[in-house]
Amino acid sequence: MKLRAILGYTAAALTLLVALLTPFLLMGIFSNGVAALPLHVDEVYSGGPTVRAIPMGAYSIGVHRPVYPHFLQSEKPFVQLDWQPVSALPQHVSDVVDIDGDGQPDVRVSFDVPTDPKAPLLVNVESMNPRYPAMSNVGKDKFSRLIVRVDNAILVRVPLARQ
Amino acid sequence: MATDARTLPLAIRPAPRGILRSLLLTLPILIWSLLMFGNPQAQADRLSHIAGAITALFMTALFFMMMRTHNTYRWRRIFFVSLGILFPIGFIHNLLVMRGSMGIPIEEMIAGRTPFCFMPIPLLILPAVFTRTLVFPGAIVSNSHSIAAMVGIWLAMTLVMGKGWCSYACFFGGIEEGVAAIPPRAKIRKLDPRWRYLPWAVLLAMVLLSLALFEPAYCMWLCPFKAVTEYVAARSTIGLVQNVIFILLFAGLVIALPFLTKKRTQCAFFCPFGAFQSIFNKISIFEVKINQSRCKPCLLCQNACPNLSLSKESVARGETLLSCMKCGACVDACPRQAVVWHIKGTQIAWKPERARLMFLYGAWALAVMFGGSIIAQGLATILHFVV
Repeated sequence: MKLRAILGYTAAALTLLVALLTPFLLMGIFSNGVAALPLHVDEVYSGGPTVRAIPMGAYSIGVHRPVYPHFLQSEKPFVQLDWQPVSALPQHVSDVVDIDGDGQPDVRVSFDVPTDPKAPLLVNVESMNPRYPAMSNVGKDKFSRLIVRVDNAILVRVPLARQ
Repeated sequence: MATDARTLPLAIRPAPRGILRSLLLTLPILIWSLLMFGNPQAQADRLSHIAGAITALFMTALFFMMMRTHNTYRWRRIFFVSLGILFPIGFIHNLLVMRGSMGIPIEEMIAGRTPFCFMPIPLLILPAVFTRTLVFPGAIVSNSHSIAAMVGIWLAMTLVMGKGWCSYACFFGGIEEGVAAIPPRAKIRKLDPRWRYLPWAVLLAMVLLSLALFEPAYCMWLCPFKAVTEYVAARSTIGLVQNVIFILLFAGLVIALPFLTKKRTQCAFFCPFGAFQSIFNKISIFEVKINQSRCKPCLLCQNACPNLSLSKESVARGETLLSCMKCGACVDACPRQAVVWHIKGTQIAWKPERARLMFLYGAWALAVMFGGSIIAQGLATILHFVV
């Protein structure tokens, strides 16, 4: 019984020590530990990693790896394309993009670039490959089909047709 | 029926500590508060420094009163309600300054700039284990609102206080605790004890749904506190339905029911994070026990508990239920001082005040660090408007 009491008080003292060390040491250690875990944010949000950059003169188009939603996730598969930097884009963009890198054009993406960064964007996608369906006047209705401005890039997500 | 400890005869309450002794016991917290808020090098404006100084004094004064009066619940509640009120003020002001709206635009989610609160932690575990994916539109690292930063704080604080998180750290619970404190008596006194299992059901359902839908299901559909923080921008009918659910749950569970029952009904009957946090009471070294040699039993403790964490059976066993939030209401309500703070492994009757002090120093130090900084931010927001 005495040993249990000694262990109890020792644990209580250690707990107090944990509290005192938290802002100076432990919070950082725990946060770094979590950050070091092999985890990533769901690609439906992040858009997945960039696999290729297509140079277009003053700007470039980043092509991301296709994203396939999990299990019962409500989104459709999509691929994300980034136009950046926004400052180098013309007032109207209309680019043919080879998404899968096979040397054949897959889509023509057209959108206006307003000078006001908060102005709403709309995109048209003309399909040149049945894998990438056309989109007309799409804003930001779903994660899998949208055009948005994020920092210094304009992101377009093109849904993939069912194979 | 909720019973206020103030209604008990004074003669059977412990005599107040002397002022000098109370000051001595408060000194470590004063030094700690100055450490947390007294850094002149910190990048903040004059009003933020003033808010920090007020917060340091406020937290120190409350701890002094805890020491002087032996009462934990009443003074902790003042801190907790302040936290519950000031958190939305500071948070909403930040949102309006940064993005001009409380709604989360899709661009912010894609950019990983959604602030991460602790509520989705249990919902992220299964998707992370099975697919190494965090189903939250935030950043893992980058700033103080990142997933890693919040999980780090939560882990450290949970080690210290177990489910005491829900009484000393949660920045939502204070709203309903404040509402529950308003009426002098409960209008609804009879509550079916089976309701206390509901948070476990909500937790199980939300964990499974989050895995199946690959989204933080509770945040997307059921969190009542979306009504006072940030919500899904209503871009579609679904978004509108989600926001209506948030507002109805907030009005029912956080305002109406606490007012009618004088209980923290959202915490007791709904919160899945609270249910998850209960598990950590098993590893926490501090707990609340009932000294059966002193217990009558009058069940005043059961009536005082805002979380339904005591039952006739648990009182007979001399312990609280797993969901105990360590708020101190039952300890303060007991006229025979049978309900005591306790360190596991030690004898119940032996120096319970020592156990209380050891718990309170740890819990209050972290409350100053975490809740205090939120209070200071809310105060600074108000000062910016007023001055």
